[in-house]
Amino acid sequence: MGTNGDLPVDCETESQYYWTMASTPLRIPLSQLPRGQRATVECSALDALPREHRCLLAAMGLGESCEVRVCRPGTPCIVQIDRTRLGLPKGIADLIMVTPIELTAP
Amino acid sequence: MTLRIALLGNPNTGKSTLFNRLCGLRSKTANHPGSTVEHQVGRCTSATGDEFDLIDLPGIYSLMLEMPESKLCVDCLEGRIGDGRPDGALIVLDANNLLRNLQFAASALRRGLPTVIAINMVDLAQRRGLIIDEEAASKLLGVTVIAVSARTGVGVNRLLDALAAAAKAQSPAHPAISLPTSEPGSVASCAWAAETFAQMAAHPPLKIDDEMTVHDRLDAAFIHPVIGIVVFAIIMSLLFASIYWLAAFPMDAVDSIFGWLGSALHSMLPSGVLRDLAIDGVVGGVAATVVFVPQIVLLFFLLALLEDSGYLARAAFAVDRLMRRFGLPGQAFMPLLSSHACALPGIMATRLIPDPRERLTTILVAPFMSCSARVPVYALLTGLLFAGRPLAAGIAFTACYVLGAVAALGTAAILRRSILRGPSAPMMLELPDYRLPSLRSAALVALDRALVFLKSAGSVILAIAVVMWWLSAYPHSTPSIESSDLRTQAEVIASTNPIDSESLIAQADALDERAQQSGSFAGQLGAICQPAFAPLGLDQQLTVAVLTSFLAREVFTTTVFVLAGAGQSADGEDLGTLESVRRATRSDGQPLFNIPTAASLLVFFVLAMQCLPTLVVVRRETGSWKWPLGQFVYMSAVAYGAAWVAYRVMS
Repeated sequence: MGTNGDLPVDCETESQYYWTMASTPLRIPLSQLPRGQRATVECSALDALPREHRCLLAAMGLGESCEVRVCRPGTPCIVQIDRTRLGLPKGIADLIMVTPIELTAP
Repeated sequence: MTLRIALLGNPNTGKSTLFNRLCGLRSKTANHPGSTVEHQVGRCTSATGDEFDLIDLPGIYSLMLEMPESKLCVDCLEGRIGDGRPDGALIVLDANNLLRNLQFAASALRRGLPTVIAINMVDLAQRRGLIIDEEAASKLLGVTVIAVSARTGVGVNRLLDALAAAAKAQSPAHPAISLPTSEPGSVASCAWAAETFAQMAAHPPLKIDDEMTVHDRLDAAFIHPVIGIVVFAIIMSLLFASIYWLAAFPMDAVDSIFGWLGSALHSMLPSGVLRDLAIDGVVGGVAATVVFVPQIVLLFFLLALLEDSGYLARAAFAVDRLMRRFGLPGQAFMPLLSSHACALPGIMATRLIPDPRERLTTILVAPFMSCSARVPVYALLTGLLFAGRPLAAGIAFTACYVLGAVAALGTAAILRRSILRGPSAPMMLELPDYRLPSLRSAALVALDRALVFLKSAGSVILAIAVVMWWLSAYPHSTPSIESSDLRTQAEVIASTNPIDSESLIAQADALDERAQQSGSFAGQLGAICQPAFAPLGLDQQLTVAVLTSFLAREVFTTTVFVLAGAGQSADGEDLGTLESVRRATRSDGQPLFNIPTAASLLVFFVLAMQCLPTLVVVRRETGSWKWPLGQFVYMSAVAYGAAWVAYRVMS
């Protein structure tokens, strides 16, 4: 189960998930975003990654403050940054903390 | 004076397409000593007569990364490799991905070389409503910026003129320009790129789509754990089957040309050793190599099309899950895939794999992947196994590749669970846009690979062909009593029954030929080693062919053709190379190749380590002889065992 401080991010139902994300400014692992969801990679979001992975991801476009869109959740997790698409293993996506944006209840 | 220009850029910016557009056939693959990553050097001339040597460096994301490609680029820019520091740099950016590409440009500009920036794929960008203001971009970046389309050639002439001007003036980026000093991807670098982009582009960046796009759907299918693997298998099968069908015509043409050349030499040269050497040794040896070049060209042409289309990156992820189960990292996909061309660049490319255990595992299993040197052997043996059945031959050809891959993965799993146990490193890849592949670029890649194959293999093969001809032609054996009797009978009935007389002479010739084969040096060598290969169904001739192929496996076909007296039947009739081998016989009159023997040889060649250069490179990469020697013993044992099973099953 992924967490951000004491806040749980795993939810029992889909509506609870959307309600939780819409009402609270969460930072959750990139791997937990659904398909089509957009999010911002916040400052220090990549700190959990080893340095060589952090530098490579940043050079590939996945740096601090960038906006990502999840094209495909799972393994590989495919994200789009500007016009770049990156494929990431779930283990790496688990360690990238993002803040979902433009969320509305279904 | 020729100006040396380093060509730099992110991956997937169309850098190599631009290089091919500029240099075309005037390029060659290079590999500096101490470097593990290949790059190309090409020559081009501007409309005003300026001459350039373009160094097409590998695509990189940053000059600051601890990766072999980044280090090669830095070494080149700082003059540590080649003929010193280049006269200038040409940075290629993708117009559709400028936010990231501009950050790379900034880090490259800080190196202080006279530079020109080419913003590529402007035609695609314009279709998306993005217009680049060259003048504004040049002012913002302090160097000349030219919008180009490498595919259509738009802006390419202006680019060369700008390069010549910058390199001759030796003026780096304008000193008043302030470039970000932080690494690409940092907050400051991203902010600078966003501001620069906003000022140089006529439209703001395009918004990311919220809906599921066609792109998303294609990715979902190609990367799907089941559909992705099925699509991959279908595409690879079609690729190899089409090689068979499409290559048949040029192969026949090559066959005919060398047949004509042999006949011409036969009529021009006097009978004797020189004629035999020229026709059977030189022409036969060269023909046996060149005849398979069409297949190699087609293979690399189609692989280049697949890569250019954007599919291969998805295929890497599709097979990544599978490879993880065998303990191989995702980064091993490309080295193993390139080992299909040749194990040497594949093994050298394993330096991209950061984990030493995973790298060593990949090095040890890479020679199992079917390289282009095996293609002639596969073509010969599957052609013999499935004569006149191109579909079955195509499937068998594909099965060879699958068997090699299975052996590689199986061995990797064993190694990663035993002597090379340890955790795996993650695979992070950019997935390029899907696009219509460039036929011109694919053709140039295929041609380059064919030339590399001919250059690296041609001289060795020719030398071995001549040696093999000598070994099989000497010492001359005397005609047997049986053949002398047949010739006497033929003379007696020549006037009354000429047809039967000719038949008897043909039988006598065949007997003399077999006596020569078994009495020659090659035959004697084969006789000594033949008992070891008898369980695989090999006779003396095939044993000789297998032994010589341990130097380089593509020599097998040459040896078989020379030993079988390729090109002519026993009665002097001109035959194609494959047909002559099909009709070749053993000393006991049985066909040289029967189904079980062809099958066992095919399996043997899929799995055996028969390449001296590969062993040398493995030693260089691992720093010890124990790994290549262990690899040789292991692969030979696996090949022998599997070939024996194949022979028994097919018998």
